[in-house]
Amino acid sequence: MTTQINSTIRIAREEWRQWLRSRLAVLCLIVFSALLLATTVLNTLELWQAQHQRLHLQQQSEETFLNQPDRHPHRMVHYGHYLFRTPAPLAIFDPGVDTVTGQSIFLEGHRHNSAMFADARAQARMGGFGGLTPAKLYQLFLPLLIIAIGHAMILRERESRTIGPLLSQGVSGVQLYFGKLLAISVVIGLLSLPALFSSIASNFSGEAALSSLSLYLANLLYLLVWAGLTLLVSTATRSRGIALGILLTVWVVSVLIIPRIGVTSASAMLPSEGKILSDMRMNEDLRKLGDGHNEKDPAFVEFRANLLDQYKVERIEDLPMNFRGMIASRAETKLTETLNTYAEERMQREIKQTEHLDNYRWLSPFLAISSASRNLAGTDLETHHRFLREAEAVRYDFVQGLNQAHIHQLSYIDDINRNKGEQGWRRARVDSANWQVLNQFRFSPDSAQDRLNRAAPKLISLALWFIVLVILGTTAARRLTP
Amino acid sequence: MMRELRFMLRERAIWAWLLLGFVLSGSAVSFGLIEVQQQRSEITELKRLDQHERELILSKQSTWGASAYYTFHLAYDPPSNFTFAALGQRDVSPWKHRIRMLALEGQIYETDTSNPDFALIGRFDFAFLISLIAPLLLIMLLFDLRSSERLAGRLSLIETSAANARNLWWLRSILRTLALATALCLPLFIGGLTSGATLSTLVLCIALVMLYLLFWMVVASALASANQSGSFNLTVLLGTWLLLCVVMPAALTQIIEKAIALPDGGEIVLTQREAVNDAWDLPRDATYTPFLERHPKWKDHTAWDNDKGFEWKWYYAFQQVGDQTVEPLSQAYQNGQVQRDQLASWLSLISPATLLQRKIESLAGTDIRAALEFEQSVRDFHAQLRAWYYPKLFQPQNTAQGYNAEEALASIPVFMPSK
Repeated sequence: MTTQINSTIRIAREEWRQWLRSRLAVLCLIVFSALLLATTVLNTLELWQAQHQRLHLQQQSEETFLNQPDRHPHRMVHYGHYLFRTPAPLAIFDPGVDTVTGQSIFLEGHRHNSAMFADARAQARMGGFGGLTPAKLYQLFLPLLIIAIGHAMILRERESRTIGPLLSQGVSGVQLYFGKLLAISVVIGLLSLPALFSSIASNFSGEAALSSLSLYLANLLYLLVWAGLTLLVSTATRSRGIALGILLTVWVVSVLIIPRIGVTSASAMLPSEGKILSDMRMNEDLRKLGDGHNEKDPAFVEFRANLLDQYKVERIEDLPMNFRGMIASRAETKLTETLNTYAEERMQREIKQTEHLDNYRWLSPFLAISSASRNLAGTDLETHHRFLREAEAVRYDFVQGLNQAHIHQLSYIDDINRNKGEQGWRRARVDSANWQVLNQFRFSPDSAQDRLNRAAPKLISLALWFIVLVILGTTAARRLTP
Repeated sequence: MMRELRFMLRERAIWAWLLLGFVLSGSAVSFGLIEVQQQRSEITELKRLDQHERELILSKQSTWGASAYYTFHLAYDPPSNFTFAALGQRDVSPWKHRIRMLALEGQIYETDTSNPDFALIGRFDFAFLISLIAPLLLIMLLFDLRSSERLAGRLSLIETSAANARNLWWLRSILRTLALATALCLPLFIGGLTSGATLSTLVLCIALVMLYLLFWMVVASALASANQSGSFNLTVLLGTWLLLCVVMPAALTQIIEKAIALPDGGEIVLTQREAVNDAWDLPRDATYTPFLERHPKWKDHTAWDNDKGFEWKWYYAFQQVGDQTVEPLSQAYQNGQVQRDQLASWLSLISPATLLQRKIESLAGTDIRAALEFEQSVRDFHAQLRAWYYPKLFQPQNTAQGYNAEEALASIPVFMPSK
């Protein structure tokens, strides 16, 4: 057993010596390491700055809301509030959908607004693959390096006719295979150090070790899939040119083409309507609910009769509360139900599209890792949806809180006379202490366990890819002949 | 030459790469056409609902002020006949808006885009295929041109038997490049004809593709040495591709972003909101003074009927003043985008992949410039809407013509796309 391990290590060590002697391999390694380091550092700094800035804007926006003077509560409903999403700590590795979804959202009464100011919109269009992030480098391009330095691992032995002596010395094909796998794995391990740095750095800004570690390990597993594939092709083919051609084609198809075909297929099979179109369909439903600004809207006749009945009074002026506030509050509840139904529908649609896209992971390990990576980093579509849902909860709470003030702290008479000159204008106000109904908002990613659960199916498919490739590789290695 | 052509067509490997190129281009073009079709039908549906809703809402109003408040207007940027080749900025910038006569700055930054996962991964369109995948296909066709002959022991034989060895290799490279260009451009040409793109656009685009592929041919011929193994050549060429198609555009993006900073978008909307909301509590002059600077012709029409604490004309005046307050910021944001784009167009001269993609997007009308033009047309339309409503709102009470739904329906401005 120990001799077997020793010979595996010996084979690996021989492979490293080979790489170090090849100027091309050394150059590739240096260039990639520099690129990884630079990208990691730049992204980390940039993201920390963005985090800081958004938190600042969030605090500022809360302060200005609370510092508003006494006024009519419904004006505060329309004054509204801004929420800013601070990026997840692991966004330093994979910013995910954050760059395309927009980071801030305006909340006001009676409406769902969409997130504004996506970075991608203001970015200069330079073609290529846009700005680089550590995740992109590891997931899109590091496989190329593995292919470039790894495709000849077994073939070189074959071409230089050293494979015969090796096998006759009692080294089995499988040992040779695992020796080479060890060699490339150590290189992968070294190249993954910047990713490890991102993981550890995220822990300092409050990320759970489970998430950051599983993100790191998932990327390692993905790179090992490519190592397994490279080694398999190197074992099973007869010439370097052919091996490299095959591996490159696999890379182009699985990394560049299949994901984009998956996108097109998902949007063609499960077409989704834009927000404007679905909002317009929703308006049909909303018109039946009545306008909460207008207490005479026919939709409220029954409500009004019931209320008068309940309090045994003849006129709404005699009610112990402000009828206009009651209407505003009731209309908001009904309207929010409809808004949420449509919003949920749209989100479910997007989740279905993403699931459809995720199914292509069986053809492309890249789709498996990129999706798992966004899940684990807390920068995926689901997290964006949770941001929208939480934003909606904040919106509903403060609007209804203000409506409560409208009902109980502003008399109906003052309210209907609000437009009668300066005096009326001044009387129709409530104390600014009521603005405290606004809840503080700090967005944080899902729990580490939830994120891991979401990523699990994709991690399983990566593990399966790896196991199958190793089985195929060892089978091919067992048949190695000089 | 015909002999070389026959030689080439006899090789099965070449046919395989050409077929792959043809199939990929065919799918890219058809995906693009499908997407454009979907966008067109969405616009048709939007226009129908928009018209229906406006009729309904205008018929229920009783004042001009309320009709301006409750009526939304659709603005859209229809895809051009060549958009299918490059969907470009349309995935991240809005190409449809619904606006009303409130302050525009609070409305124009809303973005109605599709699933963010899609925008993240990107589309498989012709521009992507040509600028990033086509060089790889060409590299596959060319890397082994000489080294394979050397390996087969024919190199010296061929070079001595040909009249001019150098010309022979160029001829072979050019033939392969042209064959690939044909395989890639044929679907584009057919797709372009069916979608009604003009011939000049198609020819221009094909010429750009040819130039780009010729560039890559020269690179491949210069770097693929006969004395090295095929796999060595392939690795070197791959590195070059990575440098030119990935690292360079990414580095330039970074440089541009650092060189030209944009004002924070959040600040624009926050400032606008403060301006609009503060106006409720400010003396009316604070609104009317800046308003009248822009619209002096209403200066005798701002009288206030003191019984009423609320007047629509005042309300819309401070909406406009809200826009005026953030004008410097908003201008800076737009100028920043224009400057970034200008710098990008200079820098793209050193990055062929960027240059090609930008040119195709500009032919397709999906570049930043087109997105900014659309934004400007929405601003113009909003101004037109204000110009239509102001006379109705600012007329003195006694001579005012009351609200008239039929007149509103017949003459209210409707957004017309510029293309």
